[in-house]
Formats: sequence, structure tokens, C-alpha cells
Amino acid sequence: MNSTLRDLLRVATTGLLARKVRTLLLLLGPMIGVAAIIAAVGLTDSAKGDLKAKVDKLGTNLIEASAASSFGGQDPTLPIDAAERALTVSTITKVSTIRELQNIIVTPYDEARENFETVPIPVLAADSRLPEVLEVSLVSGRWINGFDEDGRARSAVIGVGLADEFDYLPGELRTIELNGLRYAVVGVLDRVELEPGFDNAVFIPFTAAADDFLDLGVGDDIDPNKLYARSVEGTEDESATALKVAVNLGGPQDISTEIKSEALELAAQSDRQLQLIVVSMGLLAIIVGGLGIANVMSISVIQRSAEIGIRRALGHTRRIIALQFLLEAVFVGIVGGLLGVLLGMLSIFVGVSIAGWVFVMASWLAPGGILLAIVISVLAGLYPAVRAARLEPLETLRLG
Amino acid sequence: MITGQVIAGDEAVIDPSRPFMELSGVSRVYGSGAAEVWALRDVDLRIMPGDFVSIVGPSGSGKSTMLGLLGCLDVPTQGTIVVDGEEVTRLADAARTRVRGRSIGFVFQQFHLIPHLDALSNVETALLYRAMKPAERREKAMGSLEKVGLARRHDHRPVQLSGGEQQRVALARALVTDPKILLADEPTGALDTKNAANVMEILTSLQSMERAVVIVTHDVGIANSAARKVSMLDGRIVSDESLR
Repeated sequence: MNSTLRDLLRVATTGLLARKVRTLLLLLGPMIGVAAIIAAVGLTDSAKGDLKAKVDKLGTNLIEASAASSFGGQDPTLPIDAAERALTVSTITKVSTIRELQNIIVTPYDEARENFETVPIPVLAADSRLPEVLEVSLVSGRWINGFDEDGRARSAVIGVGLADEFDYLPGELRTIELNGLRYAVVGVLDRVELEPGFDNAVFIPFTAAADDFLDLGVGDDIDPNKLYARSVEGTEDESATALKVAVNLGGPQDISTEIKSEALELAAQSDRQLQLIVVSMGLLAIIVGGLGIANVMSISVIQRSAEIGIRRALGHTRRIIALQFLLEAVFVGIVGGLLGVLLGMLSIFVGVSIAGWVFVMASWLAPGGILLAIVISVLAGLYPAVRAARLEPLETLRLG
Repeated sequence: MITGQVIAGDEAVIDPSRPFMELSGVSRVYGSGAAEVWALRDVDLRIMPGDFVSIVGPSGSGKSTMLGLLGCLDVPTQGTIVVDGEEVTRLADAARTRVRGRSIGFVFQQFHLIPHLDALSNVETALLYRAMKPAERREKAMGSLEKVGLARRHDHRPVQLSGGEQQRVALARALVTDPKILLADEPTGALDTKNAANVMEILTSLQSMERAVVIVTHDVGIANSAARKVSMLDGRIVSDESLR
């Protein structure tokens, strides 16, 4: 290390440590200011902490595109190759298609038909990629795979809510009836936070849907009417727009898109106005703290004028004297900032524990708080430092 | 084969005929216009190697102003001051400060030790910002305290030391940089007779060809114990006599 800097550090630290009460008073300003700002931002964020955590977990990049008929026609669909078309958008990484089927009565077994007729249970034809795109796992069993498709098997995956309703035990070998046709339950899909309707749905392969529920020629494929896509994080809006164009390719259909996490994100937003008010108060506190530093250090310069005089006589330049005082201010900023961060975190923690929130502290808060404390302290120390450097040794030493 | 002068260590060879400090035609004026005060008027003075000189005069004679100028703490209104071959009157503040730190050691009436530092650290303060390793600085400071007989009390703070001891720490601090000129301002003014004698004894013992000791005082007894006495009155040197 540069020896001048090392000597300066030594003089500044011993100077601060020699006057502990004064140093403590200096620390209070930046400490309280930083703590107030951190507590303000942290507590207002933590109030929505559970929702924020949910958004973080689910991701904000799930886009839904569904067919909507501009003529008010019945049961509009997407092109058969909608998934391939969607993947031509460079920011789209994963796509899965589904077809919502109409008027299917789902019952656990034939005799229970009367009980379940009145409860509409959605039945969806889905491809093998759906859990991967939704980022949801299976509670038990497996998802629909290529064998189900190729073998035109009557396999079904049910949502976790429906499994509950039907008293389905994990791993149990059982069938359910779709319009009286028996489908084997091969798996249970876990809760889908971004699409709550899926919790009570039945998922079957496209081929089985074509065979059993749609009036199509033998061997015809069925068109999807909805797709789910994941985009690169941060490109949701552009991807959604591009998706519409890519899927439709000027076709007759109208396609509407929706970013699934938007509502959740909106709900998770902190109360900005409240945050602004409390942060302003914190800023005010730190500015007052800065004025306190300027005040206490100015008095200190007067008290230490003899020390400054003798240092000047011993060959310390004005620049060295100014730097010595400035460095004391930097230390006050660093230590005050650090203590402020700790105190702020403690306040958030206590508040969160009392209110039962989830602890949230933005990653920029700690470094930002310390930086602010240093900047304020240095600005406050500038005037006393210059005053100290301007002292004339001849006057302060009161030569006889 | 190298012949001629051998220089021992890094000790520079002292030329006894070349003054450590030379004041030529120096005047110092405070204020201006009607409030103008000539504290010093056209003073010439040479401080030679090995000098042990006292500057004496009643208050208002200009000896404080003289001290400020000799210590490079102030610059004259007129005239030139050359310290160790360097014309300090032409130097900017920072450069003058460096000359002061290199060539001049100070001892003050009020000791002016830094209250929150112990004796050793006070002595070390004179060696700061000189690109010196902490261990080396500590060793030199300890050596200097030894010279004034206070090595044992190196960890005492000024309040824990008597006036005489404090002045000896100040002496150690002044000597640790090995200055050409030791400038003492009423060094015994705040001490009792016994401690005053002790400090004067140390100052006398410091006299050597590598150094000059200058004592500024109004005490005639102290002034007369020096080898050379410069008397001042009304901003002028009225006599410059050799006492031994």
C-alpha cells in the first residue's frame, strides 16, 4: 500500500478512536438515515413479499395465445402447426398447444353420473410438452407421452383438485368416464398457479380426443385453440405481439394474447406513494445527519487547532491535513452506513415478524445505503477539512 | 581506485563555513496603510553549523515574528531567507512545509504534544508521510525517546507525564527527524527551576557541528547560557555577541 495513504489511515482511525463519544455522535446521522431508508423500502416491499416471491417463482414470461373468432363463430381454432409457427419467433423458447373440448361429462364411474352432470369439468386435449412449458410437475404418475398419442390410447391426466374431488389416491390404478367412455388415469398434475382452472381439469391426448369427441374423418388431426409459450425474460410484450403475427400469418382468425403473470405482478407491486414518503423522510434524516457531521467536525477543527498547528510545523502539508479530516468523514460514512444497513435490516425483520409478512430486501439497498452514507459524510466533511487545512500554524501555536 | 573524501553512511558532509540559515534584508510588515506595523525591519542573520544561539528581547521586540520566519512558518514581506541552500522565500506553501519538516525541529513553551497520543506516537508524528516503514519509524522514535531518557514511559499519554517529561518528549519529537536547526521557543517558560535546568542541560548537550540550536526567549539567564546571544529591540537586531 502507498505509505502516505497508510499513514493517513492510521492518523484518521486513531483520531476517531481517541474521541469515542464524539465519533458515536458523528455515526448517528448516517446510521439513522440509512436505517430509515432501508426499513422504509424493505417494509413496504415485504408487505407484498409473498406475492413477489410467487412472481419470482412462477416467472413473468408465460404467454397465452388463444383463438378468437372475429365473426363470432363457434369454437374458433388455431392453425394445426401453431406450435411450429410460434417457435419461429426468436424470443420464444418453449411452446405447448391445447384444445378445449366442449360438452363432455366427466364422472369417476358410471353410477355417479347424476352427481357430476351438473358440475362442468373442463376436458382438454394436450400435447406432451404442457407441464414443461407451465413449469409444473406431477404429483404422481406421468404426463401424456408419445405412446399415448401413437397408440391412440384412452389415457388421462387429472388436476390435483379433481383428484381430491374423485378421492383418487396417488398411484391408484383407476379409470374415469368421459361421456361414458373409460379413460385410464395415468397421472396427477400439480397445482398450476398461473392457470387455476387446470386444477380441476382432465387432460387427454389429441388422438383420443379426435377419435372420441370430435366429428372428424378417421385419421384427421384436430386443431388446437390455445397455446402457451415461454419467452426470454424481459421480452414478454414484444414476444406476445410477434406471436400473434407468427401464428396467424394473415389467416382469418383473430388471436388474443395474454401475459399470464400480469395480474399477479400488479398485485405484487409495493405501495409506491407510501414508499416515496418514507424514503423522503429517510433522506431528510440523512441530510440532517450530514449537517450534524459538518457541525461537530467544524467544532472539532477549532478544538484541535493546536494539534493541526503542530502537525503543520512538523512538516505535514495542507493537503495532508485536509485529507486526514476527509478520511475521518469517509470512515464515519462507511461505519455509519454499515450500522445503518444492519439496523434497517433488523427493523424489517422485526416488522415482518410482527405482521407475518415475507422478508424482502432489494439487493441494491445495502450497497446503495452505504454509498449514500459515504457521499453525505464526505460532502459534510469537506468544509471542516478545508477549514483545517487553511489554519495558519503560527496563529494556532500562539508563539510566545 | 576511488580517492578522496569518504562519506560515512548517508551522513552529508558539513561545510562549517556555509550557514544553515541566512536571513538577508528581512522585513515583516503586518497590516497596511495607517494600521501598518513593522514587526521586523531589515534584519540580517546567519545561523552557522554548531551554533548555540539565543535570541532575546523584551516583548514587542519582534522575536515572535523572528521565530515564525526562522521556522519557515511565515514569509517575510521583504528580503530573502535561505535554509540549507534553498531559498524558502521563493517556495510555495507545500514545498516550504517540506523544507520545514526536513530541516527544522520545534520545541514550544506549551509543549504542544497531541493529547490523545502516547509519547511514542507523538514522536512518531514527526516521521509520518515520509515513506517510512512503521517498524522503522517506531524504532527511530524509540531511539529518540531514549536520548531524552523517557524510553520507559513511551506508552504514557501527555496527561500522565510531568511538565518536564512532556518537554523532553517534545524534544525527542523535534530531534527524531535529525534537523539541521532546533528551534526552541521559551523552552523552559512553563517549567520549574529543576526541570528547566534539566531541559537546558539536554539542549546544551545537543550542540554539535551537524546541528544548530536556536532558543528564542525573554529570559536573560537562559539567553546568557547560550554560546551566542542575539539581542533584539523594536524589530531590529541591536547586538550579536559571542559569549564563550
